Amino acid sequence: MTKDKMCFVSVEFEDDPNVKGYTYWYLCAFKDVKLGDKVRAPLGRHNREQVGTVRKIVFADEYNAPYPVQYIKNIRGLAEEKTMFEIVKKRKLNTTVTMMDIYAPLVAKKAQAGQFIILRVDDEGERIPLTVAGYDRAAGTVKIIFQIVGGTTMLLDTKNEGDRLCDFVGPLGCATKTEGLKKVCIVGGGVGCAIALPVAQKLHEQGCEVHSIIGFRNKDLLILEDEFKACSEKLTIMTDDGSYGKQGVVTAPLKDAIESGEKFDEIITIGPLIMMKFVVATAKPYGVPVTVSMNPIMIDGTGMCGGCRLTVGGQTKFACVDGPDFNGYEVDFDEAMARSSAYAEFEKRERDKHCNLLKEIK
Amino acid sequence: MALQPKKHEMPVQEAKIRARNFDEVACGYSAEIAVAEAERCLNCKNRPCVEGCPVNISIPDFITKVKEKDFEGAYKVVSESSSLPAVCGRVCPQETQCESKCALGIKFEPVGIGRLERFVADWHNANFKGEPVLPKPNGRKVAVIGSGPSGLTCAGDLAKKGYKVTVFEALHLAGGVLVYGIPEFRLPKSIVEKEVETLKKYGVDVETNVVIGKTLTVDELFEDGYEAVFVGSGAGLPRFMGIAGEGLKGVYSANEFLTRANLMKAYKASSQTPIMHAKNVAVVGGGNVAMDAARTALRLGADNVYIVYRRSMAELPARKEEVEHAQEEGIKFEILRNPVEIIGYNNPDDRRDPKNGFVTGIKLIKCELGEPDEKGRRRPVEVAGSEYVLDVDCVIMAIGTSPNPLIKNTTAGLEVNRHGGIIVEEITGKTSKEGVYAGGDAVTGAATVILAMGAGKTAAKAIDEYLSKKGK
Repeated sequence: MTKDKMCFVSVEFEDDPNVKGYTYWYLCAFKDVKLGDKVRAPLGRHNREQVGTVRKIVFADEYNAPYPVQYIKNIRGLAEEKTMFEIVKKRKLNTTVTMMDIYAPLVAKKAQAGQFIILRVDDEGERIPLTVAGYDRAAGTVKIIFQIVGGTTMLLDTKNEGDRLCDFVGPLGCATKTEGLKKVCIVGGGVGCAIALPVAQKLHEQGCEVHSIIGFRNKDLLILEDEFKACSEKLTIMTDDGSYGKQGVVTAPLKDAIESGEKFDEIITIGPLIMMKFVVATAKPYGVPVTVSMNPIMIDGTGMCGGCRLTVGGQTKFACVDGPDFNGYEVDFDEAMARSSAYAEFEKRERDKHCNLLKEIK
Repeated sequence: MALQPKKHEMPVQEAKIRARNFDEVACGYSAEIAVAEAERCLNCKNRPCVEGCPVNISIPDFITKVKEKDFEGAYKVVSESSSLPAVCGRVCPQETQCESKCALGIKFEPVGIGRLERFVADWHNANFKGEPVLPKPNGRKVAVIGSGPSGLTCAGDLAKKGYKVTVFEALHLAGGVLVYGIPEFRLPKSIVEKEVETLKKYGVDVETNVVIGKTLTVDELFEDGYEAVFVGSGAGLPRFMGIAGEGLKGVYSANEFLTRANLMKAYKASSQTPIMHAKNVAVVGGGNVAMDAARTALRLGADNVYIVYRRSMAELPARKEEVEHAQEEGIKFEILRNPVEIIGYNNPDDRRDPKNGFVTGIKLIKCELGEPDEKGRRRPVEVAGSEYVLDVDCVIMAIGTSPNPLIKNTTAGLEVNRHGGIIVEEITGKTSKEGVYAGGDAVTGAATVILAMGAGKTAAKAIDEYLSKKGK
């Protein structure tokens, strides 16, 4: 019966923020199209090809078409299957921080704010943990933001859209607890802001009042300002040298806010260990609960190697299965800081080695 | 022909040379030695050795085939019972299993069953060119969690019965403890790879980078059409002693140290994986893992490696051959010693001194053996005031693990005991949750490869019976 009828599909381009939530009719030449298929179709005046998702399928003749047949555009084909762990999108946030969307549908399906993934760039590489900076369940992608600190992140930064990573596993660790919070102060430092953002967004979505304080060394290293603005009632930007926002450290505006009478249910802080330590110290006299997100050295990330152990409340805890979030008042920061530098020498050596390699290629 | 009272010696790399390389220590029997060793078998009626084997290999039958120089035939006999013969021949504690029961062993040394098993498997891997005979698929799906010895055995046995088996592995490489834990010099990674390839030929799919309990849950596997699930997720979180200084730089769990060295290939100079190349290393513990860690540290360039164990040499739980090899290589045994504290460098005048926080020594206390405990092992009793400091720059804790919480936390209806081990019915591996079976370290806590394989085998049989009874 459907043989002599035409196939019309309604497509949503959810990746394009301008048209997200709207659907558009197209004529589809292949009638075995299914709901949820990813298709390539021309969009807008310039007929720019975009990938969208099929939301409705209608079989009709010319007279019952959902859109006038003489004006309707054609679906160009099924979007190509992305290969596992392909870099779908890459954007440099500043000179040392890069953002990537990685195709990993199983991870994207489950990922939540506060969790992390482990990746390997190539078959000879080490496993590095990176916190989930966002996800798109429909597109099957997971967003990561990383700072170049050692050999592996440097190598990762050389990869481009279309390249694929060797391994990408997750989501690991426990999600940040956000239930029941009405007013929260998010304190992020440097690349830690990338991890703090999805937490801030989640809180904002569930109707929590979010105050964000984000700090950077200088204006050039500032990242995600617009994104934070969009999900915060109040955003304070601090730079060490005063080249943007206010000059100073993040604990100063935090203290001011608490003293001025802001009643936070909780402070969630993510950033360098030393910063988190001082956020805890700042909040302590006022008794505001502080959650810190720990990012220790890690190998398997599943609770096997014990490399990520921390002392929390006098007990040995493993960031990969017990964390990465912990009660800030209980974490032994001094030990964590000492342990995090165990391979500082090695990292420096690897980084220098890579720099020289890159020089040779050029 | 007069019976030779001793086992034929295993050709090995010379201790001095092998202590500085990662090549396999034992080189394996040649065909001539294998046949000669096989001839020592009395082929006795009672076959006590078969009982001693957790997977009940028909030992006298395969040895007879070796005698007849039908090595492929011998392999067939072994592979009927064991999915990983090349692995077992290398890492099984034969002296407490099959060989301990050998009739010849009453008067002389038992037959070198493990060495013969290894020979047969290696011969097959090197010489067999044909394809395995594939079973008729029965169209039913079973999921196996973890690709260590229990998971691979269970997967292999079920695949041979026609099931479509998918193995889910959290790490990026299949093999579990066989690739992250047991070092190259004891079990070359190429052998594990070969065994995994063989399973793949039987139609087993291996999905790496999937953490069950995180990426997917057990319940989702059932929703995906798997009719039974075997949990062989292995041991989990490494134990620490809870003494001062365990957070210092240079203190590793054996799992971390071995994972860095093996799975992450830090044993190669070209590796990007950082590891400490310590000069003086203390390994705390007396099991196989402790021996592996100690011998790995030696090969990474240590001058002195100490095994710190609180009982005496007689109680060391490690495989005898590993202890002997370790001694030959120059590992020092600080027995009847218990760690009290790990000491680190601290420069009070300079907080930024880069040496701060690194291990400089371990304080040990002497022990004496007291009354036997409930397991019959004599309890170590500390001698008051006998503490002294051993200068080391690296401490490796090899004192066991507690089961991984990921699966139990995300699987409703799966009961665990107070240690966190999954509770199973011993003769079937059946858990408290319908269709879910478990085995290996996830059930028992840290044990041996062959026990895990035995559990995988038991569960495969039980799963087959369960699904046959259940019908489609």
